[in-house]
Amino acid sequence: MKVLVTGAGGFLGLHVVERLLAHGYNDIRCTLRDRAKAEGLLDVSKAYGAPQLEFCYGNLRSKADCARAVDGISLIFHLAAGLKGSAAELFADSVVVSRNLLEAVEAREGMPLRNTRVVLVSSFGVYGVVPLGRGAQIDEQIPMESHPELRDTYSQSKLRQEQLFWDYQRKDGFELVVLRPGVIYGPGGGAFSNRVGLQIGPTFFHMGGDNLLPLSYVVNCAEAIVVAGTHPDASGQVYNVHDDDLPTAVEYLRAYKKQVKQIRSVRLPYFATRMLASSLESYHRRSMGQLPAIITRYKAAAAWGGNRFSNAKLQSLGWRQLVPTSEAMATTFQYLRQQDTKQ
Amino acid sequence: MRTVPPVGEGMSLKIAIIGCGKIADAHVEEIRKIPFVQLVAVCDLEPIMAEQLAMRFSVSRWYSDVAQMLDVEKPDVLHITTPPQSHLSLTRQAVATGCHVFLEKPVALRHCDTEAIVASVVAGRRKLCVNYWPNFEAPALELRRLFESGVLGSAVHVESFYGYDLAGEYGMALKRDPNHWVHRLPGKLFQNVLDHILNKITPFLDDEQPLIRAIAYQGDANRADEVPGQLLDELRVTLHGAHTSAYATFSCHARPVGHCLRVYGTKNTAHVDFMARTVVLERKQALPSAIGRLVPSFLTAKDYMRQGMKNVGRFSRSQFHYFDGMRTLLTDFYLSIERDTEPPIAYREILRVSAMMDDIFQQVYPEARS
Repeated sequence: MKVLVTGAGGFLGLHVVERLLAHGYNDIRCTLRDRAKAEGLLDVSKAYGAPQLEFCYGNLRSKADCARAVDGISLIFHLAAGLKGSAAELFADSVVVSRNLLEAVEAREGMPLRNTRVVLVSSFGVYGVVPLGRGAQIDEQIPMESHPELRDTYSQSKLRQEQLFWDYQRKDGFELVVLRPGVIYGPGGGAFSNRVGLQIGPTFFHMGGDNLLPLSYVVNCAEAIVVAGTHPDASGQVYNVHDDDLPTAVEYLRAYKKQVKQIRSVRLPYFATRMLASSLESYHRRSMGQLPAIITRYKAAAAWGGNRFSNAKLQSLGWRQLVPTSEAMATTFQYLRQQDTKQ
Repeated sequence: MRTVPPVGEGMSLKIAIIGCGKIADAHVEEIRKIPFVQLVAVCDLEPIMAEQLAMRFSVSRWYSDVAQMLDVEKPDVLHITTPPQSHLSLTRQAVATGCHVFLEKPVALRHCDTEAIVASVVAGRRKLCVNYWPNFEAPALELRRLFESGVLGSAVHVESFYGYDLAGEYGMALKRDPNHWVHRLPGKLFQNVLDHILNKITPFLDDEQPLIRAIAYQGDANRADEVPGQLLDELRVTLHGAHTSAYATFSCHARPVGHCLRVYGTKNTAHVDFMARTVVLERKQALPSAIGRLVPSFLTAKDYMRQGMKNVGRFSRSQFHYFDGMRTLLTDFYLSIERDTEPPIAYREILRVSAMMDDIFQQVYPEARS
C-alpha cells in the first residue's frame, strides 16, 4: 500500500517517514515544497534497504498539486501546516491547504472514500483549557476551544484545521485519526516552547515555573503518529501525544542552562504573569494596539495555567516511548549547543 | 463661546474590504481607530481567508463574492487589498455600485491600467486614494511643511532609500511560495515596494517625464537558490528633471534595514528616517573656521533630542503605531469624501509614480514587456 506524507521535508515529517519505514511501509509518497529536503529523506531511507520513496514537489496551496499528491493513495498522513508567519499565512498553509487536500481526496474517481484513512497531526492548542482552571487534567475528552478569537493565531489556525477535517469526515465518511501532540522537540527544532516562557529582548521571562511540560520528543511523536495512524481501532479517534516522563518547565530551563548555555532569565510566578497580562491587555486596549498584546489573561491561562496530561489512550494502542526523556533532552541540548557554537 | 466639533462628527461611512491577506490586518486595525466610520464586512474569493479575518477582528459579516457584498452591504468605501492583477476590474465594479475606492499599492500591473483606474473613478464621480501611508507619517508631514515654508529652498537633489528584509515576514512569504503573486508582477519584487520609494521623490521632482536610468542585480550570488526564478533584489535608479535630480535605492542586503529620505535644498538639507521617525536639518553654517566644524554636530544632536521628545509625546498620546500614517491618510480620505473635497493624494502623483515604475521595469525586466 502506498502511503502519503504531506510536509515530509519538515522537522516532524522526516521522522514520520523513518518510522513508517521501520514499521514496514516501504512505498511512500512525500510532498515537498523544497527539493533540497529530498536528500535528508533519502539518507534516512538507506537504513531500510531499497524502499520506494516518491517525491511529489509542489505547494499544497495549489489544488492541482493536491490532486497529484493524493492520486491513488488510501492512507494519508497530513503533517503540512503553517508554523510561523502572519495570521493570513498560517491560515493559508494550515486551513486552505487542508481544504484543498480534502477536496482532492473527495474528487478522486474509483477510490471509495470509506476505504481511505486520513491521519491529521493537530495540536494541544485546540483544547479549550481555560475554563478548566489550574491543575486540570488534559485528556481527549476535553472540549475544543470555544473562544478562538482569544487565542494566539497558531492555535486559531490549528483549531480551524481540525474542525475542517471533522466536517469533511462527517460528510464523506472516510476514516479519520487525529493526533494532538504537545510540545514537539528534538534536533532541528527550537529551544523553548512558550510554555517555558518568552524571550523578550535580552531576557528570558520564565512563566512556566513548576508546570509540567507536555514534551514529545520528535522520534517518539513520529512513532505515535504511525502507531495510531495505522491501528485498525483508531478510526474516528483523537489521541494526545506526549512522552511518559515529563519534566517541569523549570527543570527544562535548568537543564538547558547547564547543558547548552547560561541565559539571563527572570521567573514570573503565575499571579505576576496574570497581573502583567492584565496591564498589557489594558494598555493594548487603551492605546489601540500601540504595543502588541503578546500576553493576555486568556493566553496566560492557556499557556501557563498549569495542567496535568494523560497519554493513556495512546498507550492503549500499544505506543511506547522509544527514547527516554533524559536521553531525548541530552540529544536535543547537544544539537542546540552545536547550533549556538556555530552562530 | 464657540466649540469646535470633533473631526468627522455626524459622519458614518460604511467601509468594506476585499482581499484578506496579510496587509488586510493593517487596514482593519487602522479603520477601527477612526471613530466616524464602520467596517461592515470583509470579502475574499477564498472563504477561509475571509472567515479568519472576520473571526480575528470580530467583523460581523464576511463574503466570498464581492458582487454579493457590494449588493447587500452597500459600502461607501471599498478597500481593495487584493494583488494588483485584480485592481482594475475591482475598481470598476466598486465604482459601478457607487463606492469610493481605497487601493493598496502597487496600484496596477502597468501604467495603462493605472490610467484606466483613475479614469474609471473620475467618470463615476467617485474618489480614489492609494495607500502611500509613509508619506503621512508625522516626520514626512513635517518635511512637507519645511519645504513648503521655504526652509530648504529649492530641491537640488533627492535620495530615497528603502531597505527590505527577505528573511522578514513578507520576504519569507515570497521565498516559500514560487507561485506568489509578486513573482508574476512585471517588476517582480521591486513593483511591490517601488511606489513607496518614488512617491517620496515626485513632490520634489515636478517634471512629467524625467530622464530615468535603472539598473538591477542580485545582491548575493549565494542566495540565488533561495528565491525562485530570476528575482533581482538590488535596484538603483537615477532620475533627472529640469531642475532636480534624484536617486532611488532599493536594497535587500544593506543592514540595518533602512527607510529614509534625504532632500538637498538650495538653503538647507533635510534627512527623514522613517524607521526612527525623525526629521533633522543640516543647516548652512555661518560660523568661521574650526568653530564652524565644531558646532554642527551639537545642532544635529539637539535636533535628534527634539525629535526623540516629540516621539515620546506621540507614544504617550498613542500615535506611534507602525501604521500611524495610514490612519492619518484614511482619515483625510474619508473626510474628503464627506466634504467633497480633493482627496489627500492628487491623481497626477499616482499617475506619475506609475509611469516612472513602468519605465524602470522596462529597463530592468525588458523580457516582461514583450
